[in-house]
Amino acid sequence: MKYDICIVGSGAGGSPIAYELSNAGYRVVVLEKGKNLTEKDVSKDELAVSRRDMYTPDLKDERHIINDREEDGSSIRYDGHEHSWSFWNGSMVGGSSNLMSGYFHRMKPNDFKLKSVFGEVKGANIVDWCISYEDLEPYYEKVERVVGVSGEVVKHRFLEPRSTQNFPYPKLEENSVTKWFDKACRSLEFESIPTPRAVLSVNALDRNTCSYSNFCGSYACATGAKGSGRAALLQKCNAKIIPDAFVYKLDSDAQKITQVHYYDKALKSHSIQAKIFVLAAQAIETSRLLLNSKNEYFPNGMANNNGEVGKNLIFSAGGSGQGRFRFEDLESVKQKELMQTGLFFNRSLQDWYEFNDEGTKYKGGTIDFLFEHANVISRASREFYNDEGKLLWGEALQKRIHKQLTTSRVLTFEVFNDWLPTDECFVSADKKTKDKFGVPVGAINLWGHPHDVKVGEHLAKKAVEVLEEMGAKEISYNISSAPPPNLVAGGCRFGEDSKNSVLDKNCKAHELQNLYVTDASFMPTGGSVPYTWTIYANAFRVADIIKKLI
Amino acid sequence: MTIKSRRTFFQTTFLSTLVMITANNTLFASITPLQTLAVVQEDLFPKEMITKANAYAYVSLVFKHSRVSAEDKQFLRNGTKWLNEEAVVKYNKVYTKLSSKERQEILELISNTSWGESWIKTVLSYIMEAVLGDPLYGVNKDEFGWKWLHHSSGLPRPKEMYL
Repeated sequence: MKYDICIVGSGAGGSPIAYELSNAGYRVVVLEKGKNLTEKDVSKDELAVSRRDMYTPDLKDERHIINDREEDGSSIRYDGHEHSWSFWNGSMVGGSSNLMSGYFHRMKPNDFKLKSVFGEVKGANIVDWCISYEDLEPYYEKVERVVGVSGEVVKHRFLEPRSTQNFPYPKLEENSVTKWFDKACRSLEFESIPTPRAVLSVNALDRNTCSYSNFCGSYACATGAKGSGRAALLQKCNAKIIPDAFVYKLDSDAQKITQVHYYDKALKSHSIQAKIFVLAAQAIETSRLLLNSKNEYFPNGMANNNGEVGKNLIFSAGGSGQGRFRFEDLESVKQKELMQTGLFFNRSLQDWYEFNDEGTKYKGGTIDFLFEHANVISRASREFYNDEGKLLWGEALQKRIHKQLTTSRVLTFEVFNDWLPTDECFVSADKKTKDKFGVPVGAINLWGHPHDVKVGEHLAKKAVEVLEEMGAKEISYNISSAPPPNLVAGGCRFGEDSKNSVLDKNCKAHELQNLYVTDASFMPTGGSVPYTWTIYANAFRVADIIKKLI
Repeated sequence: MTIKSRRTFFQTTFLSTLVMITANNTLFASITPLQTLAVVQEDLFPKEMITKANAYAYVSLVFKHSRVSAEDKQFLRNGTKWLNEEAVVKYNKVYTKLSSKERQEILELISNTSWGESWIKTVLSYIMEAVLGDPLYGVNKDEFGWKWLHHSSGLPRPKEMYL
């Protein structure tokens, strides 16, 4: 059977294509490497999910090679298995959108024209996008309705233009400590923003509302409230989903992809033919698949005759920090407020999305605030050392864990700013190491531009001011060039010129007539927000384009 | 089938197989990692909690777990050997034959070494998993660990173990 559309990957990039095209009557097949788990299959089992990584491949079978670039230009090769360095984010139907926290921010208009507005930065490949915020706005709005985004729009200096006044779903219930936060921000003249979440706050879209079970990030949602590609889209369409299908090669003639090959879990090979192929295997794996798909027409990998595939890999720059609130500093009412569980701490700051420092205009970013994750084994394990750095055990450790976890709580923050694209950060197919399927693994050639850390530091210091004003103690933060594996984009950037981009404006490969890429690979710059909302929105945009063409 | 049987044999005997303790290049004694680990667990966290957590049995589960790497399992096992060798060097006895005070001295001693600090943290991590993991795994009896820290589990709870 020949399908109309074959999609590789079922997360935020693939699921909107499946939803739109299958609901329009086309024959759609989705190949997903992971299992098909639904609401009834998932739980909040910390041992399985967070301690034994049940949703990601075993690194001994499937790993990445990380070539970490040093200051002198040399690089150190790390085997992901040997160094327990994982870049997997969720192999399952719906992909890592199942496991996201769902902090949803739109990119801002100036994010689409970073080069024009902020100019070049030496050593970075900054470009303007070939579409504008206005092109994507209708699709951001569509994601709010169809995937489900809850929140409350408040006016602030960097609020992006909206075609609707407010979110379609009211904001989630909030922890009382948000009042402390808002008060501190008023005092500092910062603009506190309720963080929009891809989590339903009411029963809607044939899905249940949030159960406030206190375990959101890293865990799959059992109510369907979280807007995963599975719950929101794949379960609302009749696209054929083939789980446990690892796509390892694309075939083509000179102009078109003709078929894809995949292994099932018994390592048996199968092929799928279709009119149009859409890749959305997440940024690193999409580039790897293209690079590993060589033939006489594309000897350097599919769609790679200009050598652009894998280039300009980006992550989200920034880092995180925290402060602790202790009972001894609080009245009893505030102690109770502090320990409320289940309710969300949804607060963000974007006051410094753009800022001036010593006469220079900088692109800044977003700061999201949230309570330390509820994982109790992890929280207890973070107390193994006393304040002087000595390893504890026995009754001393028992007492410390009890005191820290029952009479104090940690408020954390995450900084998101642009990871500037460079020649030194890219994906390649490793020449030595293969995975359990016998396929060359993806090599992540890693480097962060120093500019990223400078901006991140600026933002982190602002977050620290808020924590101090709130009365937090033991405040610390860490801004670095360490890449967050779950915030990855680029590798197949889109653009007008095929000499320096892989995809055209429609996210179709310049070099092939029927190959599209709709995960975050297309992004030439990442904005200073988590990527998921933009991935969803762009995939809906591309779905409309494909519908018109097919 | 043969392979599967051999693997099962390996898993069940990995911890009960004797580990040779040498001193001055001569064989001093042989111990099983499980014996040593049971005593170490009580030395690293209060015995009452170790018992309620069923931490002794949990170690066996860790050794069988498909997602604990062979390297991590080997490190846990090797640590029991190195710990005993330290005990022999200092007191001329294997670890389990020492007094409580002597065992604490050995733990202090190794905690100042790179391997020792890492090994103690590893054992403590598995203790925390037994104290605070879901009781489905045969640990955290009557949710005593969660009650101790006023912790409410996320819902839904797991229906089957992930091993």
